[in-house]
Amino acid sequence: MAYPHRHEDETTTLLSRHMGEEKARHLEAWLERGGYEALRKAVDMEPDEITSVIKDSGLRGRGGAGFPTGMKWSFMPGADDDRPHYLCCNADESEPGAFKDREIMRWTPHLLVEGCLIAARAIRAEHVYIYVRGEFFPVIRILNDAVAEAYEGGYIGEDILGSGWSCDLTVHIGAGAYIAGEETGLMSSLEGRRAEPRVKPPFPAQHGIFGQPTTVNNVETLSAVPMILSNGADWYRQWGTEKSPGTKLWCCSGHLSRPGNYELALGVPMKDIIFDVCGGIPGGRELRAVIPGGSSTAFLTPDELDCETTYEGLKEVGSSLGTASPIVMDETTCLLKAMRRIAHFYAHESCGQCVQCREGTEWVTKILERIEHGEGKMEDIDNLYDLCEQLTGRTICVLADSVVFPLKSSLDKFRDEYEAHILRDTCTAS
Amino acid sequence: MSDGLHPAVAGSQPYMLADRQGAASSDEPLFESEAGRERLEKILSRYPSKRPALLPLLNYAQERNGWVSGRAMEEIAGVLALTPAYVHSVATFYTMYNRRPIGRYLVQVCTNIACHLNRGEEVMERFLEEIGTRPGETSEDGLFTVMEVECLGACGFATVVQINDEYVEDVTPEKVPGIVKDLRDRAGEGGA
Amino acid sequence: MSEQNGQKDTVTLTIDGVEVTVPEGTRVLDAAQRAGVVVPFYCYHPGIPTRPAQCRVCLVSVEGQGKLQPSCVLDARDDMVVHTATEEAKLARKSVIEFLLVNHPLDCPICDAAGQCMLQDYAFETGQLESRLDEPKQVMGRDRISDDIMYFADRCIICTRCVRFMREVAEDDALIVAERGHRAYIDTFPGAKLDHPFQGNIVDICPVGALVHEDFLFKARFWDMDSTSSVCPGCSNGCNVAIDTKENQIVRLKPRHNAEVNSYWMCDHGRKHLVMANRGIRAEVPLLRDEDGELRAVDWAEALETVAGRLGEVSGGRAVVSPHDCNESLFYLRRLLDGIGIEGGSFTVERGEEATLSGFPKLKLRADRAPNVAGAEAFGFARSDALARPGEGEALVVLEERLQGAPSELDDEGFGEEASYFLYLGSRISPAARAADAILPVTSFAEMQGTFTNWEGRVQRFDQALREPGIARPAWMVLSRLLDLAGRGEAVLEAADAFERMAAETDRMAGMTWASLGLKGARPAETAGSGSGGA
Repeated sequence: MAYPHRHEDETTTLLSRHMGEEKARHLEAWLERGGYEALRKAVDMEPDEITSVIKDSGLRGRGGAGFPTGMKWSFMPGADDDRPHYLCCNADESEPGAFKDREIMRWTPHLLVEGCLIAARAIRAEHVYIYVRGEFFPVIRILNDAVAEAYEGGYIGEDILGSGWSCDLTVHIGAGAYIAGEETGLMSSLEGRRAEPRVKPPFPAQHGIFGQPTTVNNVETLSAVPMILSNGADWYRQWGTEKSPGTKLWCCSGHLSRPGNYELALGVPMKDIIFDVCGGIPGGRELRAVIPGGSSTAFLTPDELDCETTYEGLKEVGSSLGTASPIVMDETTCLLKAMRRIAHFYAHESCGQCVQCREGTEWVTKILERIEHGEGKMEDIDNLYDLCEQLTGRTICVLADSVVFPLKSSLDKFRDEYEAHILRDTCTAS
Repeated sequence: MSDGLHPAVAGSQPYMLADRQGAASSDEPLFESEAGRERLEKILSRYPSKRPALLPLLNYAQERNGWVSGRAMEEIAGVLALTPAYVHSVATFYTMYNRRPIGRYLVQVCTNIACHLNRGEEVMERFLEEIGTRPGETSEDGLFTVMEVECLGACGFATVVQINDEYVEDVTPEKVPGIVKDLRDRAGEGGA
Repeated sequence: MSEQNGQKDTVTLTIDGVEVTVPEGTRVLDAAQRAGVVVPFYCYHPGIPTRPAQCRVCLVSVEGQGKLQPSCVLDARDDMVVHTATEEAKLARKSVIEFLLVNHPLDCPICDAAGQCMLQDYAFETGQLESRLDEPKQVMGRDRISDDIMYFADRCIICTRCVRFMREVAEDDALIVAERGHRAYIDTFPGAKLDHPFQGNIVDICPVGALVHEDFLFKARFWDMDSTSSVCPGCSNGCNVAIDTKENQIVRLKPRHNAEVNSYWMCDHGRKHLVMANRGIRAEVPLLRDEDGELRAVDWAEALETVAGRLGEVSGGRAVVSPHDCNESLFYLRRLLDGIGIEGGSFTVERGEEATLSGFPKLKLRADRAPNVAGAEAFGFARSDALARPGEGEALVVLEERLQGAPSELDDEGFGEEASYFLYLGSRISPAARAADAILPVTSFAEMQGTFTNWEGRVQRFDQALREPGIARPAWMVLSRLLDLAGRGEAVLEAADAFERMAAETDRMAGMTWASLGLKGARPAETAGSGSGGA
């Protein structure tokens, strides 16, 4: 399928410049487009120099957590550590609403490969594992071909570009588990185990895959690295804000006229994205609610959409940027059903280690189902609030916390929907 | 005669092959052939120990047979020096491993939030009606197994349906009969 | 904070106001135990190496840290201030119990674990006694995961102790968690059954009634049982056990912790075979052969006088003992035999295949299937494949206590026929005993106190778990009376006294006292010089 939309403002198509160009998947054409120039530069730089540039650029992790990338790399042991180091590229894109990493991989796989290699050099890694979710077969085929090409071209493997530095890369595919997208869950899965997240400490940079220092980065994060290295940290900072520099590949879905991917500078007001860029809601219907950053973020109401789409901007309105994946719901949406479906997802994906998450996500889902079927009670609302507290901050990973973000905000902001179902067995959707 | 695969991608070969001949219900040994052994060695060469090769080998079992049988788990356990119980534990954790033979076309319909907002449940219902099965069941002619799945990562193009290794996007309930017919035609042309 | 050679090796922290110093690397949960503070836990077990920190019930508040921390994996650090009972921590604990009770069936009325269930205990402790659940509970059914262990999936709290015991201690990765999330359950490879000589331990460590022994199912309520410290008689390893009895019947054996012998574990052979001790025809009253050649029941006074008198005329013969006899009984028997000119003596011991618990290699099901081979040998009795029959004119003294197992020569009715005088002390009347001139009923080890010596010379006490049948008495008591009547010793009535006499005359027990053996036993002091104390 062709890349469906191209935003009018070309100045922010940094990552997405070549999306839609089938040729760009292949090495020759990619080289013509300036591919692997940054890697050429990187192999002549010291690892810590590379990290410095990325630190200065302010690039933040694009997998949802927004942790400063350069700082994450600097957690890795330095030159005097002789253990093998590893880079894991998290291509397990499974967050409901997110579909950006697949676009990067399926249009510009070499960009990702290049980003991985540069990052590997920065953290002194000898092997990169790209962990792709198993369902992404169309993407995986393309990525596989690109990796083989890159090996042949001398961009991966022994003595990269004649630099004397060697690094391998393996594509490793998952098999259907959202929790394998959690950093330590990914590491467990890569090791041939159940994708069960791990207690931290120890942190991956000290004790990651195979017990060795490891860094896990998202596809979009790594894909931004080549252009930052080529053009410099200051160049990257011309977009976005001080705390949230750069551009972001947005994933817009739900009730929209033009859903799809758009690369925008960070900071554009949420309402502009929905109504200008995505053409608003089809059929002239009213907006009812938005989940701004993928299902693990808090609901926003129509009057909360003036916020800047930065990490700090969304935090201010009580939500988060997440993966920048707004799911837009119009007036015909029953928010109770929507919330139930979201809760069901988390219950399905819980790995089952922690008692709260294992039992709580399913319990919450059952309560919502019961309310949906007209057998709710007002105490259910109080109980749901209480369960939100019990599911926050108590578990090995934040899957439990993630269901709380949409759930609690839906209780706060759409209480009338719950009450309508409980008291009158009707919906407030139109 | 080598398989021509670069070792870096030997473990990431697509396995829900679009037009697999016949239903996915065979249970061939995996590593008795030269091809199987070559694949195994290439995969093992990418990791410092054996256990990490587990998911790639389970994927390979599905590539060869369409599903993962108990026998396949035992075979994989054998080559990786793991116990069959352990392999079972890992295989049942992940949803993509079919523990029973499936139809020639595995139709996976997403009903997660973005697709839910775009009539995903109706699409699911329509598929079940057209094919005449319940979720997870294989049709009598061995052609179809329909399942409801979680987010497939193409949310802007809801409703998303994965059929074997292809993504079919922007599916509406109205399009479903046409899709099913195409699949039947394809199966008819391909034979068996 | 203490320093040795300039290196820190301890840390000092405060837990619930109590300051405690522990070696570096100690986790807060263990430090709390040392401080006398009890923090609840499920997935942690002191005998299992890994700590998955997944039950979340050991969460504590740590000053300076925003989130509650799992104390089982949190490293204790200098100046750390831990509070285990803040409102937040208590709420978190209560919440875990509530979540566990969401799908856990209220099986207490029919569940073997009732009364010894960590879920019940913590539910009462945390006050989580009412449910606000209004949904149907998930039902998963039950499964026989081995020939003798049942798994009730609905009761399971997925603490994974059983999985990790098998993987890390038994080193057999045969038990796993299948599926994920709320659908998860414990399983073997489909079609396979667990079959490991130490698998019974998973029932002990299960915090709830998810794993139960099928042969214990519904047999006894926890509060109806008495529990007695003892030593397993199944082999020469000498695992410390607790014998659980109900209405004077042995219903269950569980291991007791002994870091030097069996850690927290025992083998299945040990668990099972003692239950057979409830069976068999017991010798309950003294029997003497009268002039008509019939065995006649008599009281102890007459029996002992008569036997002592007849022994006075014996000078030489054979002795047969059992490696199930306790040290005290063997000691007194040796004294008695010395006095009537019987030297040496022999015993047979049933042998079987060894099985080692890989994760704690000192624990083995040992080839000698008896608890006191070392004791028997130490008191001058020799292991033998076949017992020599007494010839004409030779006396025969048998001290035998054989619970079950391979047939012995004493099953041959003709064994003692030729003997000039045949004295039989036993707990059961074996066929050979019918030829005896005197049968003195003695107690089995479960019906008295005494000591065994295990394979490495550890002397361990066992206590009385069952009432003596009829008027049977401990062999050491009977033998000491015979010695008394012969003017060659003092009679004893207490095991402690028997032990003291024995220890006084036995080099390898030098320095040991009945009290000092305690519940863990003692090995002979290894000193270069003689007579230094300590055990």
